[in-house]
Amino acid sequence: MSAATTAPADRRATTSRRRPRSEGGLALRYLAPGMTGFVVFIVVPLLASLTISFFDWPLFGVGDFLGLENYREMLTDDPVFWRVLGNTVLFTVAFTALNLVLATALAVWLQRLGSWAPFFRILFFVPVVVPMVANALVWRLMLDDGGVVNSALGLVGIDGPSWLGEPALAMVSLVAMSIWQGIGYNIVVLSAGLNNISPIVLEAATVDGAIGWTRFARIVFPLLSPAIFFCTIMTVIGAFKVFTQPYMLTGGGPGDATNTLVLYLYNQGFSFHDLGYASALAWVLFVFVMLVTALQFAGQKRWVSYDS
Amino acid sequence: MKSRRLVAAGATGLVVAMLAACGGGDGGNSASSMYTWISNASDRAQWEAFVTAAQQEDPEFDLRLEGPSFEDYWTTVHTRMGAADAPCILTTQAARAQELDDILMPLDDLAAEHGLDISMYNDAMIEALTVDGTVRAIPYDAEPVVLYYNKDRFAEAGLDEPGLNYTREQFLADARALTGEGRYGFAVPPVFTGGPGIPLSSANGNVPVADGELQLTEPGFVEDMQWAFDLVAEHGVAAAPQSGDPTDVHLQEFTSSNAAMIIDGPWFYETLTSETDGEVGIAVVPSRSGEPRGNIQGSGFGISRSCDDPDTAFANIMKITTPEVVGEVGRTRGTVPSVARSVDAWAEGKPAQDVAVVEALLESGIPLETTPTWNELETTFTRYSSEGYRGHRSAEEILTMLQESVR
Repeated sequence: MSAATTAPADRRATTSRRRPRSEGGLALRYLAPGMTGFVVFIVVPLLASLTISFFDWPLFGVGDFLGLENYREMLTDDPVFWRVLGNTVLFTVAFTALNLVLATALAVWLQRLGSWAPFFRILFFVPVVVPMVANALVWRLMLDDGGVVNSALGLVGIDGPSWLGEPALAMVSLVAMSIWQGIGYNIVVLSAGLNNISPIVLEAATVDGAIGWTRFARIVFPLLSPAIFFCTIMTVIGAFKVFTQPYMLTGGGPGDATNTLVLYLYNQGFSFHDLGYASALAWVLFVFVMLVTALQFAGQKRWVSYDS
Repeated sequence: MKSRRLVAAGATGLVVAMLAACGGGDGGNSASSMYTWISNASDRAQWEAFVTAAQQEDPEFDLRLEGPSFEDYWTTVHTRMGAADAPCILTTQAARAQELDDILMPLDDLAAEHGLDISMYNDAMIEALTVDGTVRAIPYDAEPVVLYYNKDRFAEAGLDEPGLNYTREQFLADARALTGEGRYGFAVPPVFTGGPGIPLSSANGNVPVADGELQLTEPGFVEDMQWAFDLVAEHGVAAAPQSGDPTDVHLQEFTSSNAAMIIDGPWFYETLTSETDGEVGIAVVPSRSGEPRGNIQGSGFGISRSCDDPDTAFANIMKITTPEVVGEVGRTRGTVPSVARSVDAWAEGKPAQDVAVVEALLESGIPLETTPTWNELETTFTRYSSEGYRGHRSAEEILTMLQESVR
């Protein structure tokens, strides 16, 4: 009897020695390395920038508390903010739309290309891995007033425009260069999406008479929509953060024609030494991108199909 | 619950500690270290030339140098001076002294204690390096902006070379005669301080800042800036710059002889005379009257406010700014010395006319006074100047917008 009553107690004692005090503690220990990095490199800088956005914070020394003044000034007293926000939205819409249409068309073309497809896929992907600064310098040489493009146009008797000197053309040049630089990534993702579409489904569609545009619109596009949705999300977020292209290609000019939100933010923080205002701009951009992304997720139910 | 509080307290503490570290300004400094721009081997050689020259008087003297490229310097100097191990001595252009107000220590009391006679330095430079009534750096050079011209291009066109008197009308006539067959008479960069607008205005006595206040819309300054824009937009004697062009685009055009004239400082004298395709001469910047009137620019050595041993740092600055040292550096590196009696050392081996031009401009020179928001002005002007040079906007529109919008 006594053995029967003491045995379970011993087992409990053994078990409690081997197990940690709680599963939460165990999880914390496993998560600690990753969470430490997340806290130090993500959470703390986020909180720091949020704090700084409420101050007049110079690059050197401690700032003065302003409350919401930076946000008020940005939204009501700074016409350049609305201009750069408009430029950023314009760039995002043009870049995302053209990028996705071209990337989808090229991915479909590459799928039918056969043995040359890997070669072209790599060719399109090369600009993605080349540093943006180098890409921008090459494009500046091409688009300069006396650059490669205008020299080529001159050979056929056309007096080329100033691609980087005219406000409208400068934005067009910026979008063109960005598409050339970034389209390879979407091509690879969409190619993978196309490869995942079951050949049986496509064959059945063909047997049913769905060919050409009808087959693409009714069969391929719905099955590819998850990949397109992923590309849309990533492209929109990347487009809102555009910086290197205008910084290297146009400096934000002529005038404010290609001045984007992140370039404006950079100048406020690191050229004009107003970290408080720059941080406020960063938080407005963060909230804006978050809202746009949330809207995209909300709208996906209407056009994204996860049926395979 | 307790652990949540601990995590929250820890996170808050971490944020505060990081912000304090970013904004903190005190800590140990080295009075024998200097933070400056070191873009290339030539920059380093220039700073080492000061040390070498000072060692002739004090063989034990040494200065540790550190710093980024010129372009990065103006961004990093603020954060570097906030670090615990920041150098005590830093370099500043006179045009940036206002902008570095928060990190440059006033030097008047130190100069008095160490018996340094500040009046021996170029008046215009001392004026430009004075912020809120106190001198913030001791100048090592005083360089009047000049007109560089390609003698070979002038000879080819059968033109008389410019010299100590140069009117705007003559300059424009020469520039027109030198333009053609894919080459230009003049070249302009898109920038404000390094562009032709300010020197051309200064030559007529018009300046962008007076009594510490921006006066960009002053009629004389607007008219002179419009004249600079019209050189491209109306007369076509220079190629229109783009806002993304490098700041030295005019130098590239000049050295390749695509442009026959440019306006820039004597600090490029050695580079331009040795690298240009053709023989190079210098002349005064053209003015309405033709009389020489210089726009003096240059740089100096200051002390960080966070320096814990300013006495030693100032003693070191004194050693590298003596008349002998700035003269020797002028002789070996080509910078025009900030002390008048040392200019002879700089003049050694240079053509008499070039020396006469610099001396005339030094005598009549006015400083480039700036404001704390100068970099904002510079950045915004660079974006808009291409529109001015292309005739899309007038100087009045651009300068009025800048006057009203620079925060």
